[in-house]
Parts: sequence; structure tokens; C-alpha cells
Amino acid sequence: MLTGERLSYERALGFDEAVDSQCRLRPHYAVLFEELARLPPAEIASRERLRDAIFRRLGITFAVYGDAGGLERTWPMDLVPRIIPAAEWAVVERGLAQRVRALNLFLDDIYTGEAAALRDGIVPRRLVVSSDGFVRQAVGIRVPHGARCLVAGIDLVRDADGTYRVLEDNLRTPSGISYVLENRAALARVMPALSARHRIRPVHHYASSLLASLQSIAPRARGSSPRVVVLTPGIFNSAYFEHAFLARQLGAELVEGRDLVVENHTVYARTTQGLERVDVIYRRVDDGFIDPAVFRPDSVLGVPGLMGALRAGNVGLANSLGCGVADDKAIYPFVPALIRFYLGEAAILPNVDTYLLWEPEQREAALARLHELVVKPVAASGGYGIVIGPQATDEQLEICRKEILCDPRAWIAQELVQLSSHPTFIDGRLEPRHIDLRPFVLAGERIEVVPGGLTRVALPRGSFIVNSSQGGGSKDTWVLAEPLVH
Amino acid sequence: MLARHAEDLFWTGRYLERAEDTARLLDVTYHGLLEGGASDAPMAWQEVLDALQLSHLFRARHRHVTAEAVEAFLVLDESHSSSIAAAIGRARENGRNVREHLSTELWEALNSTYLELRADGRAQELAAHPHEFYRRVRSRCQLVAGAAAETMPRLDAWRFLLLGRLVERAEMTCRLLRVRAPRAIGDEHQDEIHYWLVLLNAVSALESYARRFGAEITPAHVLELLVLSPEFPRSVLFCLRAAEAQLGALEGGVAAPSVRRALSRMRAELEYQDVSVLLERGAEDALERTRRGIALIAERIESCFFATGPSPERHVYESI
Repeated sequence: MLTGERLSYERALGFDEAVDSQCRLRPHYAVLFEELARLPPAEIASRERLRDAIFRRLGITFAVYGDAGGLERTWPMDLVPRIIPAAEWAVVERGLAQRVRALNLFLDDIYTGEAAALRDGIVPRRLVVSSDGFVRQAVGIRVPHGARCLVAGIDLVRDADGTYRVLEDNLRTPSGISYVLENRAALARVMPALSARHRIRPVHHYASSLLASLQSIAPRARGSSPRVVVLTPGIFNSAYFEHAFLARQLGAELVEGRDLVVENHTVYARTTQGLERVDVIYRRVDDGFIDPAVFRPDSVLGVPGLMGALRAGNVGLANSLGCGVADDKAIYPFVPALIRFYLGEAAILPNVDTYLLWEPEQREAALARLHELVVKPVAASGGYGIVIGPQATDEQLEICRKEILCDPRAWIAQELVQLSSHPTFIDGRLEPRHIDLRPFVLAGERIEVVPGGLTRVALPRGSFIVNSSQGGGSKDTWVLAEPLVH
Repeated sequence: MLARHAEDLFWTGRYLERAEDTARLLDVTYHGLLEGGASDAPMAWQEVLDALQLSHLFRARHRHVTAEAVEAFLVLDESHSSSIAAAIGRARENGRNVREHLSTELWEALNSTYLELRADGRAQELAAHPHEFYRRVRSRCQLVAGAAAETMPRLDAWRFLLLGRLVERAEMTCRLLRVRAPRAIGDEHQDEIHYWLVLLNAVSALESYARRFGAEITPAHVLELLVLSPEFPRSVLFCLRAAEAQLGALEGGVAAPSVRRALSRMRAELEYQDVSVLLERGAEDALERTRRGIALIAERIESCFFATGPSPERHVYESI
């Protein structure tokens, strides 16, 4: 237990980001704790009110589906930032770039190459063709630089040893980057003394990096400043705030499907001056809704004829269609092998140990210890549908077992990772809460990793569910520019 | 810019102006009655409903025309789209649709206005200090307008926002004048003067009026100031001129001849209008014609710049 005049902190089981196993403060948290200790409890409460006022005034909110409490909820950011030392981040950064490079090579190979990884048996072909994320219609559509997944969000956790592991890949329409930028701006305003005493790697250049990446996939004939738009499902989508935020920062129009029209395999926006050509679409609409003429005919979110424009090479789309095949959780166990296959390198960031439930032996082994494992549906994201063995009732486990036996391809089982914990203000006192990290990786002509990412916090004591759609909180995440000098 | 965004901005402007104008109207009506005795209170409140063409909607919800009922109906009742709360809510909803076009300061001003109006205790505040409440709505709307004026680049987003405000304001001024026009013209009765005073106050015109025409209130001078003045920022002519300038500056605005023609014709008509002729021929008809002309211009702006598909439900006041 760490005790001080104003600050005490009792660590939880597992790896703690701020203190070691003897509860001694890790060096890169020393200055932070020194500053926090200056704040009397009343001051902490008043800073929290200021934080809430800032987020509310700016309208920084997110929606929780099925929540009767209202359409919008103020963004929950804890006042204690997470700190990642430079040397530690350097490894993570290389690991992320490596992973996204390999995943893009895999995707490009499936859709426009010879599918070498399938031919050579690195990944079973039937897993790919049976994947919900595999889009047959995207076969043959080329993407400049092979940047099929242009924006990736790779979820990382730290196990009991503090090793960073990849929990899952999000290669379709990962969200959260706007909160990374807003957390940084808000924390600097609410806790200026904290920010001032650290050298933090900046994140506010994200929009210009994203714009450069997006413009790099424009049709080649379209000159030096192609027109980029952000395609949103609309104001009722849970990430609408982010879509508007990015459009504003990119200087791009925020469009809905009804604002776009395709004529002669070319995409146009309906403007006050008639139709104007669109060169790149940064879409935050799912694959199945993007072109009602090809996919779901009932979709009002998409643009009829978009597939034709993509095929003709008249418009760039990010992320491209069919990225979901590579973040299918059934493909996930094969990613380290894909890295070796496409790059000839060992994976820098390990996976979490995973059972392939369609393999009879592994299925038997997993079913025998279901109460210790985490079971996830392969195609879902956002924490929906996950069963955590140790916290599930016998009845829930029985239902889970039946569902696995009914459709083994639809599930994976993983060892429960004791997520690392981090000091977090709960009612004015520091308490350990479990966290993960979603860093963002941009692909284009080159790969760029945003320093840090979105740290999500499971707010109930002992909980491992960090998803903001499930009521999780967040932290500003600092990557230090260089080790602190005392 | 995107047609849908232009439409949302135009309506953000309209709803904001509507909230402000309604607050002004309620404020002066309420305090006019306090200062002048409450003998004709039901009539004064009925006139407010008539001016806004909401009598029918009101009757469906309330049996008697009382200050409390009219205020409840026009301020906090969100079951219809003409109350101040509903107008601010819609202005903010439209603004949220085009968030990326608004400067952060403008959005913050709009969003805080909305949040403040939804805060607990507003009903009590309205009951205890109506003037304070209305003043706050008015100054909040002006804060939004100020944030827009000081932070928005003079591009189409700004122009559509402003066009919405100007169109709504011009129409509202016609509506306010029209209600009293039939009885007031040529009648120097004390009550009528009282009404004109209230009206001038409602549009912040009393000081301008006094400076220009002195303390004597005549219908001719009121019309001169509120309809034909090229200087007073809430007069119909002023709004039309400003709208014409914004329209001409729009990208592609020159390619919208039907809107420009209608607007220019009406502006020219007012510029060469003699107020005594207007009174002779019947102010009520003239004002109604002008109001319809403005409504038509708004419709043409919609069809010329926004028409790209089914548009959302918008509330346009109906003709009596």
C-alpha cells in the first residue's frame, strides 16, 4: 500500500501500471503522484465538475443503444492520465506497424493477389470464405499502396507480467480517435500543472496525417488536392460525434448516403450548385450497408452504384470493403503466422492464447474449462455477446456450451487475461481499475502509429469490461518524449 | 456546399430567430399589461396567439386564454414545434447535423443555450421572474448570433445561416404588425398607442423611433420604421436588402434567378413605397401580401438550393 498525507493507493492483483509488486511507485509516475498529492479532496471534486462542464459545453457525448437515460451521455474521462515511457512505447509502436503491415498484405493478397497464405495453408481457406467479413464482391478491386485497412484500431492489454498482448484487431470502422484528441485537450485545461511537468508526445496532428493517407488512395488522375468526404450513418449513430469531429478537422464534408449519387460509375455530392465529384470516401458505414444495389437492399445509409464506381477505380474508399475478414476472431489466432509468412519476422506483440473451437480437440479442452475462459463471438465488436467464464452463472455457461456445439465456427475461447490496473479517481480517492489500450494505426504510402491511443477503464471494481458502449470510462494517455530526468 | 447542410443551416437560423422573437413578444406583452393595467389581458394574449397564427393549436390544449396558459404553451411546451424550448431544441439539432460547418465557439454558444433552457427549475424561474427569463433567452440568442458573426468565415455556411435569420425576422415583423393593423390605422385611441408601444419595444425599436419621430406614436411612423426603414435592422426592407446581398454572394447564387427576381422585386416595391399610400389602400392587405411574398421567397430558396429528396418536417407558420 502506498500512503501519503493526502494520497494513498492500494494495488489490486495483476500488473499495476503505476506501482510495482511491492507497491513502490514506478519512476515514470513519480512526478504525476507528486502533483496529485497537492490536491485536497475538495479540489479534486471541483476539477471533476470543471471537466464535466467542458465536455457538456462542447457537446462531447456518445450514445448508448438501448439506454433509457437519454440519447447522449457526457464522455467519462478520469483525471489521472496513463503514462507510457518512451522505450516501452517504441516496442509497441514497432509491433503495431508490423501487425498492420502484415494484415494489409494478407487482405490485398486475398482480394487482388493469389491468396498465397491460403494456398500455402497458413490460414485454412474455409475460415476465410465462411467469414462474415469476407466480401466476395470486393475481389479484384485494387487499392493504392495496398492500404486496404487505412485506419486500424488494435486493442492491447497487459497481462500479469506486464507484457503487451493483442486482444483483438479492429480493421473495419474503428472509432475512438476523437476522444484521444479531446481527452488530451480537456486534461490540459483541467489539470494544467500535470501536463506542464511532463514532455508528452503530441497527438493533435492526427487529422493532417489522416488526410494525407486518405488523399493517397484517390484515383491517380484526380490531381493534387482530391475531394475527400466523410460518410456517416447519421446523427443517431453512437459515433456521430466522432464523424462530425473528423470531418471538421479534415476540412471535409460530412455526408450521408442520400447526399451522394453515382452517375457513369462516378460519385458525386449533391451541393447547392448541383453535383460535384467526390474522389475519396472515408466511410463510417458498415460493409453491408454501403451499396443497397449490391448488398442489403433495405439500407438507406448507403450509395446505390458505389460498387461500380469502386470497380472502375473512380473513387477511393477507406477502409476498403472486406477488411472484416482479417479481424474475424477466427482468423486472429493465425495473425502471428501471417506476420512470419508475409514479412519473414517474428511477431513483436504476442496474441492472447486462444482455443479454435472448430478443431475437435481444442473444443473438447475448452468446453472442459469453460468456467475459466472468455468466450467471444467471432464477428462482433464493442464487447457485445462476450461470456466471461468466472463471472457467468451455470445457466449462462450451459447456454454458451450449446451455442458453441451448434455453430463452432462462430466462437473462440481465450484465457482470461488479468488486465493491468491503473490508479483512478473513484469518489475522490485513488483506486485500482482495469484498463486496456486502443492505439490507432494509419496506413497509406507509409504506416504511422498515433502515440498512445485511447485507454479505456472498467469503472466497477474488479470488472474487465472496458467498452464505452458498456459504460466504461477513459483516460488521457501520455507517451513520454524521453525518460524523465530527476 | 452540400444541399442538406445548407438546409440545416438555413433552419438553424430560422429557429434561433423564432425563439428570440417569441421571447421578445412574450416579454413585452407581459410587462405591457403590468404597466398598463390588466383589463384587456385576455385580448392581449389572444393577439399574441393570432400574430403567431397558433390560436387553433392553443385551443386544442387549453380552454382559457390566460397569461399562464399562453406562456406555458409558447415557452416550455415541447409537444409542438413553435415554443421557445422546441425552437431552441431544433436549432441545436440542426446545428448538430452540420457541426463541422460551425465554429466551435458558435456550437458552444448554441449548445449551452440549449442546455440552460433544459436545466431544472426553469418553470419555476419563468413563473417567478418572467422578465429575467425572457431577457436570458434573448441575450442567449444574441450571444449565438454574435459568436457566429465573429467566428464564421464569410462563406456559404454563414450566408445560409444568416439568410434563415433574415427571412424569419422579416416574416415575423409583418406578422406582428398585421395583427393590430385593421383596428389601429386611423385610430388614435389610447389603447392603440399602448399596443404600438409594446410592439416597438418588442423589436427593440422604441429608442430608434423616438430619435427619429419624437415621442408621438402614429401608425404611419411605426410602419415607416418597421417596414420601410433601410437603417433599422429589424425592418422588413432592411432584412430583404441584407438577404439579397447574401443571396448574391452565394456560390452559384447568380444561377438562382427565380429567388433573386422575387426578392429584388419585393425589395424595390418597398423602397419606392409611400407610407401614406400604403395606409390608404389598407395596411392589412399590404402587410399580408408582403408576408406571403417573404414566405414564397423562403420556399424558392428551399426548392432552388436544397431540393434533393424528402426533406425533414419543418414548421412554417400557416396563413390565417
